[in-house]
Amino acid sequence: MSRSQGAPAASLPHAPDFELATREGGAIAVCFAAMASPCELLLETADTRAAAELGQLAAREAWRIEAKFSRYRPESIISVINRSQGHAVRVDVETAALLDYAASCHTLSGGRFDITSGVLRQCWTFDGSARLPEVAAVEALLPLVGWKKVRWQVPHITLPAGMEIDFGGFGKEYAVDRVLSLVTARFAGAALVNFGGDLAANRAPREAPWQVGVERPDSEREARLLLELTQGGLATSGDSHRFLLRDGVRYSHILDVRTGWPVAQVPRSVTVAAGSCVEAGMLATFAMLHGGEAESFLGRQGVRYWCLRDAND
Amino acid sequence: MPLSRLLLLAVLPVPVLVSGCNPLGVKPWQREILARPAMAVTAEPMDAAIDDHIYFSKEAASGGRSFGGGGCGCN
Amino acid sequence: MQLKRPPAQLHLGLMAASCALLSSPVRAQTADDSGQPLQLDTDVLYYKENAGRVQTVEPVVSLKKDFGDLRTLDGTLTLDSLSGATPNGAIPARKPQTFASPSSTSLTPQPGRKTTLYTVAPGDLPQDPHFKEQRLAGDLDWSQPLGLDNTLSYGGHASSEHDFDSVAAHAGLSHDFNEKNTTVSAGVNEEYDRIHAHGGNPLPGSDYELYEKESSQTKTVSGALLGVTQVMTRTWLTGLNYSFDHSRGYLTDPYRILSELDAQGDVSGYLYERRPDMRTRQSLYWFNKLALGSPVLDLSYRRGKDSWGIASDTVEAHLRIDLGRGMYLEPHARWYRQTAADFYELYLSAAGPLPTYMSADPRLAAFAATTFGLKFGVSVGRNGELSLRLEQYQQRPSEQSSPLPLLQGLDLNPDLKATIVQLGWRLVF
Repeated sequence: MSRSQGAPAASLPHAPDFELATREGGAIAVCFAAMASPCELLLETADTRAAAELGQLAAREAWRIEAKFSRYRPESIISVINRSQGHAVRVDVETAALLDYAASCHTLSGGRFDITSGVLRQCWTFDGSARLPEVAAVEALLPLVGWKKVRWQVPHITLPAGMEIDFGGFGKEYAVDRVLSLVTARFAGAALVNFGGDLAANRAPREAPWQVGVERPDSEREARLLLELTQGGLATSGDSHRFLLRDGVRYSHILDVRTGWPVAQVPRSVTVAAGSCVEAGMLATFAMLHGGEAESFLGRQGVRYWCLRDAND
Repeated sequence: MPLSRLLLLAVLPVPVLVSGCNPLGVKPWQREILARPAMAVTAEPMDAAIDDHIYFSKEAASGGRSFGGGGCGCN
Repeated sequence: MQLKRPPAQLHLGLMAASCALLSSPVRAQTADDSGQPLQLDTDVLYYKENAGRVQTVEPVVSLKKDFGDLRTLDGTLTLDSLSGATPNGAIPARKPQTFASPSSTSLTPQPGRKTTLYTVAPGDLPQDPHFKEQRLAGDLDWSQPLGLDNTLSYGGHASSEHDFDSVAAHAGLSHDFNEKNTTVSAGVNEEYDRIHAHGGNPLPGSDYELYEKESSQTKTVSGALLGVTQVMTRTWLTGLNYSFDHSRGYLTDPYRILSELDAQGDVSGYLYERRPDMRTRQSLYWFNKLALGSPVLDLSYRRGKDSWGIASDTVEAHLRIDLGRGMYLEPHARWYRQTAADFYELYLSAAGPLPTYMSADPRLAAFAATTFGLKFGVSVGRNGELSLRLEQYQQRPSEQSSPLPLLQGLDLNPDLKATIVQLGWRLVF
């Protein structure tokens, strides 16, 4: 196969490995691991066999998407594109749709959201230390950042040599929505898909709406935010685990692609509810990119959101 | 109408199409219909080449869509 | 930092984009999506005109290699076999007419040389029934990206037949912008031909019986094309091409003659035609691709004008209809009309002065033509497609009669009717 062909059809990385549990309210939960997160599928049913079948379907779809789009997998289409050294790569319908989505989000965010920003990782390591990169090191990487430099015309994408793309900003949310639509096509009851805090539900169970607990980061307040979800998506963007701290100033891992430096005054966490998980996740990401203006940005969009900041921000 | 005048009229709308503030066109996520093979500018190049050759040998006008072919003794 | 658009619109835009993402299919739906690198097209064209006139069998083989990174190589080989009777330019007369086939040297038998004569009955259109020609042509084209938004293409062509050789080369550049909604392109081509008629090139304008010859002749054609393509809406693509070409050299048809008639319409002789040694052509071509739900309509109009006084209009439409299960139907209609060349004459008057340029070639006359056709295609196996195209072409000249007494009741330039059958087979690997 030539180097520019797309990734082969995803084969299972491992045999289905999940467990069933019963949650309060009577729903069955199917739990497995994917995309470095604990994943669960909640189903309004008492039929363990049906739950197991649906759980298998959900897990396979999550693993398929991970194998196809993860930049950590050498056979993924993302890795093929990142290795293409300036040559055009032909992508399939699904990858084309995700690239189109990334392009629209770039335009809608006024250029703040940019899937080519990953190369800046080479000079930024957010390990809680005080090690900031040299200004010159960041400047040197800026020419390799910028979606406008990418040639994307269905079905070929051409990345200039040295540039990289990454679907990490919305890959998990996309998987949540895809799994939910696969399950909904085969299951008459209410279902909720939760991949590490990014979740979506097709409708509320007959008894009561889904009770969702959103983990709050390192705060003295209540450990969780309790929400009621009937239908739609919920996603959280957080800054609590990856940052740098120097001279009392906190540098978040949310980078401004135009300067290569962190966005100032990023909230500790933003949770948004919207029609789908990708939409909620992208709104949360846009909010983080607005730094100190996150709350007013979300207020103007007319969506339900929960924004948390440190007392000393 | 003389060809020169027709050309002038045709060229006048072009700056509108080509200007920076573009009222025409679609966003990248709206191209699914345009990507269909039948929507390509020359969807069937073989048929087009055969037709061009037939009309070149039977009529006085020729081409216009593109070129690249050579001559033949049939005209 | 201000947003470029009002916030509510941003949320709407994001909702639309998210919807579009989640409703796109996950699995590839058509064979075209799988990036097949090699495509083989084999077509056989069968063309036949009415009244025993020209017929052609033309197999064409084309191989297209897609290197997967927007670079493509296209090679085509064409074999043309023509036979049948072709009009020689003279008009019907009230008495039999005898002509020599171009393989001869003159009407008068020469010692040691084979002469093929043919006689035409009174009232019949003079046509040479011995016409036979074989043509072999090859084309090679290359296309590749140049930088981020440009495409470069270039290629060459060579062809050869018994009395005509041609070589040509072309190059073009196109540029995309406006989020790939607009493409502008420019191209040039150059062609060099050599004409060496059977038996030798006759001196243009000379007497048919004398058959004065001259050496083989050449002609060159230089052309340029400018085009713009614009996406108008999700379902409508439009474009405009302006093309220009200039030919110089031997532009005369070495086999065509004109009848010289007296005042009554009786034939007094024949002359070889003579055309100018320069010709400039311009055309404006406007095309559209419209998705009408599932069917796709291709609609175009072309206006042409040249320095020989010929103006033309062409309107053409194709409608591609998918019938499901890998089958499709494509009806086709084309209307064409042209005015006559300044020097076109149905015949010459023996009494009047000899014009500088003259031709009775029906292809330079004023006429209207229509084409109606239907193409049917079906997928075969996993990677093949078979197609059948049937077309009917008809040309109706405007000038078909003459006021001269002896020519009354004679159709001097009959309608041309041709049937086109094309069988196609495509394989992708």
